[in-house]
Amino acid sequence: MSFVSNSTGSFFNRSLKDMADLRTGIERARAQIATGRRIERGSQDPAAAAQLRSVVRREALASVEGDNAARLGGDLGAAADEVEAVTVLLQRARELAVQAANTPTGTDGRQAIAVELEQLTQELFSRANGTSLTGEPLFAGLSSGVAFTRDALGNVTYVGTAQSGAVPIAPGTAIERGMPGNEVFEFNLGGTPTSAFAVLGGLAAALQGGAADPAAAANAAIAGIDAALDTAGRAQTILGTRMAWTEQVQAQQAERGIALAERRSRVGDTDVAEAIARLQQSLTALEASQAAFARVSSLTLFDALR
Amino acid sequence: MPSAIFTIGRSGLAATRRSLELTAQNVANAGNVNYSRRTLSQGELVMTGSIGINAQDSLGGVRPGVVERAESALIQRQARDASSALAAARAEFFALREAESALETSGVFTGLVDFEAALTRLEGNPLEPALRLSALESARKMAGNFRIANGTLGNARNLVQAEAGAEVLTVNELARELAAINRDLVGAREGTSGRAALLDARDKALRGLAEEFAILPTINANGTADVTLAGTPALALVTGASAQSVNVAFAADGTASFAVGVAGFAPAGGAMAGRAGGLVQMAGIQGDLDALAVSVITIANTAQAAGAAADGTPGQPLFTGTGAGNIAVVLGSANGLATAPAGAPAGSRDTSNLAALLATLGAETGPTAGADTLLLGLSSKVSALETRTQGLAVVSSSAEAELLRATGVDLDDEAANLVRLQQVFEANSRVIQVAADIFDTLLALR
Repeated sequence: MSFVSNSTGSFFNRSLKDMADLRTGIERARAQIATGRRIERGSQDPAAAAQLRSVVRREALASVEGDNAARLGGDLGAAADEVEAVTVLLQRARELAVQAANTPTGTDGRQAIAVELEQLTQELFSRANGTSLTGEPLFAGLSSGVAFTRDALGNVTYVGTAQSGAVPIAPGTAIERGMPGNEVFEFNLGGTPTSAFAVLGGLAAALQGGAADPAAAANAAIAGIDAALDTAGRAQTILGTRMAWTEQVQAQQAERGIALAERRSRVGDTDVAEAIARLQQSLTALEASQAAFARVSSLTLFDALR
Repeated sequence: MPSAIFTIGRSGLAATRRSLELTAQNVANAGNVNYSRRTLSQGELVMTGSIGINAQDSLGGVRPGVVERAESALIQRQARDASSALAAARAEFFALREAESALETSGVFTGLVDFEAALTRLEGNPLEPALRLSALESARKMAGNFRIANGTLGNARNLVQAEAGAEVLTVNELARELAAINRDLVGAREGTSGRAALLDARDKALRGLAEEFAILPTINANGTADVTLAGTPALALVTGASAQSVNVAFAADGTASFAVGVAGFAPAGGAMAGRAGGLVQMAGIQGDLDALAVSVITIANTAQAAGAAADGTPGQPLFTGTGAGNIAVVLGSANGLATAPAGAPAGSRDTSNLAALLATLGAETGPTAGADTLLLGLSSKVSALETRTQGLAVVSSSAEAELLRATGVDLDDEAANLVRLQQVFEANSRVIQVAADIFDTLLALR
């Protein structure tokens, strides 16, 4: 006897497989909604997982670069503050030099000016050895020690390095950490290398009787103080430019951070509305499939025959 | 003759009862996947006697024939081949998915990125003790992640190897069982229920073997099956009543080799071929992971050698080890990180050596990109295998459905048969009743 047979076993197998597939889909949609992540393992979407890895790496580095930029901004700000104070100080020294150059100022007056100039030199020295918030020297270049030392005779020497290191604050962008002290306080005067310390110290010594004609010495020192002011002003301009650059990079970093977050969200986050709709669809299909299975599986001839 | 009617009715009753028994047997085995539905063949019984040219027919009713087993060699073979291919893809898929989990969850990539980030942060202030310490600790964490990846990959490999070892025992058991079935089949009479049961067992053993190895069975005229394992070279596993035994051995890199008796062969399909393929892939991944660890060790130690530590001394090696299994931080103190170039004085804030290290680590050919490539390659493979497994599962389940359609039990058919056979049985008993009535009528003649 030959007949077309629909084996009971194959009907049950098919129904079970269909329902198991639906259940797997529901489980996955549920996990996506619960974790908020579209990809649980790389093999679900290898290209997206690779993108996600590169975005996560970029984000990690961007966050560190942001910290570096904030810190660099702080360091540059501290250096600029010091240089501004130095400018004010040098202006006061210039006023004093002009006063000392005036003939009516007597010996006593010049002595008083000399004392004030010595104080200013002290202040200049301590400002030149100023440190950042974290205790790093501001004007020592790559060195972590003091920028300037003073010997027993009062001669001030720069002991830092001629370069200051650069800090990477964005891919391909590294900004110099500060200004080496020799570029802020040392300059050439009439072809001879000298420094703000030497000019102020020399003037104070001349006014205290070191020179035969203090007024002439004071007159001569004005040119040196002007050169020191020029150098400090230039340093301030450079520091200001770098601060502006850092701020610009920080603004870019913030924007790029948002772009990166958006990208990560687009690649790796669950579209909740879509996932819920899909979950609902699968649930409906599973319920219908279960109901249909229950109805069809009860339809056997054994039940019909009494 | 009324006695002929008796005989006819009795033969009908006997044939119907045997059919009913088979129907009951079919219903009882409706849930048995290895059962092939049976039917009873029947033949009309007519006796013809002839004397000279005078022929006389005498009707004898029905003759119960032989038990017929629904058979379909071709569909059986299709189902076997499909399940072989599915088992191969599925075994390789599972093996590589384990490897993928091992590499993804152990955080090799994250460790590298964190190390890179800690070094970048150090560039901001190279002499701050906290930043130096955090860079050293992130190096330690990265080395730890490599070792974890190595360990979990090893675990995944051991699982696959253990499975292969256990399933080889199953294969040998099935081969011996098939040899025993072959021996019994030679002696079994055609058309008996016993022979049908033996054939069921034979097909079950063949399906079991096909799950593990792609097989080339030869079904002989007497129903016995000789099995050759497909592969290079193809080797006989079961010939008549004798069975060879299969062995598996594992090389140092974890790859598997198979032998029937003493002759080695590479299986062409089945779960074993999938496992062997998975183990080869895992050996490749292990090689890549070791190469990645070695490149990190080399890059970091080369950079250290080219630089000066915080106290101005030449940089000492940061890592020790020869692969992912034994990479470890060997630098004793965070001050030993050579951020400054060689020759820099103590306390130098020069970060050019650190910048060079960062550039090598993050380069297109650096370890971070290498880890990404490794993960991308692996997850692409797993994804492709998953798609292939799903496709083969559809093919296999439709072949299985086809097989069940051809050989399985349909309860509706059996219910209809029950009713039909019951009616036939009643009709036959009615025939005997009529014969008895006729006989009684004759006897009552006066």
